[in-house]
Amino acid sequence: MPDQTASPQLSRRGLLGASTAVAAGPLMAAAPVVAPATPPVDPRRPVDVALTVNGQQHHLAIDVRTTLLDAVRTHIGLTGSKKGCDHGQCGACTMLVDGKATLSCLSLAAMVRGPVTTIEGIAGTDGTLHPMQQAFIDQDAFQCGYCTPGQIVSAVACVQGGHAASDAAIREYMSGNLCRCAAYPHIVAAINQAKDGMGRA
Amino acid sequence: MSDITEPQIMPQGAPPSAAKPAMGAATSRVDGRLKVTGAARYASDLYGGANPAHAYLATSTIARGRITRLNEADARKVPGVLDILTFRNVGDRIKPGKIFSQKGYMGSSIAPLASDRIQHGGQIVAMVVAETFEAAREAAHRLQIEYAAETPSATFDSPGLESISAEASSREGEQPGEEKPKVGDAAAALAAAPVTIDQRYETPIQHHNPIELFTTACAWTDGKLTVWEPSQNMYGFQNGLAEQLGMAAADIRVISPYVGGGFGSRGSLTQRTALVALAAQRLRRPVRLETTRDQGFTIATYRAETRHRVRLGAGTDGKLQALIHEGWEVSSRPDNYKVGGTDATTRLYACPNVDSEVTIVHADRNTPGFMRSPPEVPYMFALESAMDELAVALKMDPIELRRVNDTMHEPIKGLPYTSRTLMPCFDAAAKAFGWSGRDAQPGSMRDGEWMVGWGCATSLYPTNMGPATARVVLTPQGTVKVQTAGHEIGTGITTVLALMAVSGLGVDIAKVTVEVGDSALPPAPVAGGSNSTASIATVVAQACEQIRGRIAGAAVAAENGPFHGMDPAGLVLVDGTLRASSGASEPLEAAMSRTAGGAIEAYAENIPHGVPEGALKKLYLGQGTLMGGAKLKDRMQFAFGAQFVEVRVNARTREIRVPRLVGAYAAGRIVNPKAAKSQLMGGQIWGVSAALHEATEIDRRAARYTNNDLAEYLIPVNADVQEVTTILLPEQDTQVNELGIKGIGELGNVGLNAAVANAVFHATGVRVRELPIRLEKLLEA
Ligand code: FES
Ligand code: FES
Repeated sequence: MPDQTASPQLSRRGLLGASTAVAAGPLMAAAPVVAPATPPVDPRRPVDVALTVNGQQHHLAIDVRTTLLDAVRTHIGLTGSKKGCDHGQCGACTMLVDGKATLSCLSLAAMVRGPVTTIEGIAGTDGTLHPMQQAFIDQDAFQCGYCTPGQIVSAVACVQGGHAASDAAIREYMSGNLCRCAAYPHIVAAINQAKDGMGRA
Repeated sequence: MSDITEPQIMPQGAPPSAAKPAMGAATSRVDGRLKVTGAARYASDLYGGANPAHAYLATSTIARGRITRLNEADARKVPGVLDILTFRNVGDRIKPGKIFSQKGYMGSSIAPLASDRIQHGGQIVAMVVAETFEAAREAAHRLQIEYAAETPSATFDSPGLESISAEASSREGEQPGEEKPKVGDAAAALAAAPVTIDQRYETPIQHHNPIELFTTACAWTDGKLTVWEPSQNMYGFQNGLAEQLGMAAADIRVISPYVGGGFGSRGSLTQRTALVALAAQRLRRPVRLETTRDQGFTIATYRAETRHRVRLGAGTDGKLQALIHEGWEVSSRPDNYKVGGTDATTRLYACPNVDSEVTIVHADRNTPGFMRSPPEVPYMFALESAMDELAVALKMDPIELRRVNDTMHEPIKGLPYTSRTLMPCFDAAAKAFGWSGRDAQPGSMRDGEWMVGWGCATSLYPTNMGPATARVVLTPQGTVKVQTAGHEIGTGITTVLALMAVSGLGVDIAKVTVEVGDSALPPAPVAGGSNSTASIATVVAQACEQIRGRIAGAAVAAENGPFHGMDPAGLVLVDGTLRASSGASEPLEAAMSRTAGGAIEAYAENIPHGVPEGALKKLYLGQGTLMGGAKLKDRMQFAFGAQFVEVRVNARTREIRVPRLVGAYAAGRIVNPKAAKSQLMGGQIWGVSAALHEATEIDRRAARYTNNDLAEYLIPVNADVQEVTTILLPEQDTQVNELGIKGIGELGNVGLNAAVANAVFHATGVRVRELPIRLEKLLEA
């Protein structure tokens, strides 16, 4: 049984470890691509980056240090994903990259190869809300709503990855997404509501 | 969440049809769809227009001293750097401003780039502006800055502190109206009391840490400035900036449509905003500043550390005979900021002899400010811990101790509470919690290796109101626009105001648009002191009533209409029709065809009880006048609650866990129980967080914060929170305002830190008087 009562210190450390691992996925996958024989002359010169975000292709010429989060927010203009720390500590920037929940503030845009789904891509193309989005409204699983895009993307990954079997499992999986308004019990309720509609637990 | 009592309080006037949303019915947020799809635009999402330049701050590495060398050469070499603001080119370009509690607008009077002087750690020392965020960040790190450091005073007990009594600071005209609650002869009564408590308590530095960062974007067009910044005080920011920049407030517009958490951190203007405005002016281009999480610890306000000495004297029957509450609070060197919670703690219980004193201690720190329940969180921790200690000394149940000291009149001047549902809250929460099963002996309740403790405490929060204005427009098609410069910080104010329009105008909630968060709208008070719902709902209801009155007036005058000759006061707008109690009815469109023009627009302004006439003019100048609580001359306005908590402390490791919380609250009419429960629940979790998690650590030698990020500044994560029960008790109080609304935003977290400490004592026999309660403090148990 997952430890639902771990002390905050311990669970936070566990989470950080998990976050790093998630972010490391794309980095390692991309390593051969970004290790050219001769290093670029000026590391600050814009690099060409191709990103597929919510099914749309984008070609950007951006500073190589640009994170996936800033590329999507500042350069593509999709501001649904939020920046709460830029350090992998809050989860507000969570996106799906290749279907995996990823902290976009810890991912460099130039290294992302797989398709990216942001909060703007969670609802149906006709505007029908995803069951998770509807559940967040029904359960009042937010107040200020700033953590919400990240919470919903993580919550979708939580159910899809089979981490929603119990309240304790949900709490554990969702503990990388901080909510300062402390909507946590309602977030758990929303995931429980949505998981049936999503056809998985 | 377990069961919740939802009082179904119907609005006065029109009876709404039961299935439709209306005041008192649990309603999903009107901005819910925008928030779950990422379409809600927060100030941080509005970059100031196309192609803004990006700004990044450099902050001081010392807390006190001077800048001796500031070399920009390397920074300027970074490609894309456009400008660097330092004390050399800012100086007196930005005028000094007073802090909020001195009738100014600022969170701090320390003007960071006015000179080479450093007055606190993390003070802004430069702002770099570049083509990209990445270049600005790199250049900021390439600035070479040297300092002549002086030894700073960090916190209590540091050498070099200065202090002033709150009373004296008030005499200096800084915080007018401040008083020092006192009655009878508390020292003599204490000496004579058969049972006494004399203890000291301490609360730590805490930072709001809303998830939205402290961003600002500024753009100039034809000499006019637009600012996008998360704000809890639209008109305050507008007017404060006007003062700082030496321009007319009318030429400044501040926009903040949704706010990613406030908690008090965005109620006063920070020094960063004027710097961004200046940079945008110099560059003739929009500039967007994004600060880092750690910079947020020093460029904005925070909850300062406090110390308390509480002395209680009681008879063997538990009745208080003496109560003395002394508080000490840290502030910055120049600013006499304080929260001063004794005005509530000295008036909560019946007691004939009371004395109090608050002292402000000046250290080399950034100026603190309001953070969710500013006075009550620290001061009620002290009082409610002391009350628990008194109950133990008396061998009395802590609920019964509150009961024998419950009162409908505060003891200092004998003023009546307009309503007080404290003991029903205790009884409801105790029942839901199962308190009767408690064995009072500390350490007596064990569950395997877990020591179980149950504790409780009182919560209270002043019912404040401020002057407010609003505009409401109704079209014959039944669409409504509500406009007021209020703030959607997550409280659900937009939903509340939509519900007011539904109740007042009988329209479908889907047809109501609520516009807030823009200084171009009619002014509303700061989103602070839990006043917004009461203040703004009242004035929106008045605007709706004007519209109803005009439609009804025309209807009764129309000789060929169904309402001819009737009393217009008896006609209501409901379900898209104008209706009389006789059953006569007419579609809205037909009823509105009699009034001149198409849409009807009404503007309303309200001055609440106890607020002087000139307050509306001041509101337009961004100076709100919040009135209520213990500040009124004729009565006491408070909301009350009872906090219950179960803690489990591991007998081997002293790990502390909180499996359940039960809170019962009575706060007048609840307009939207759905959002109200969320807010109170969030407050309860904040209370546990304050008790067990949150503390900003300070390096005593350097006077700098050391755990300034979200990994080390501990706030609860999902796995930390288990069962939270929130009970709303019905309460009617039409004295506080016509609608009977009391604020709830801050009620949920008051007293809970004491309830946790009391539960920890019950579990372990160890009384922790310094927050946060961490396991090392329990090792002697
Ligand atoms: S912004 Fe990415 S984790 Fe906080
Ligand atoms: S809803 Fe405000 S931070 Fe989660």
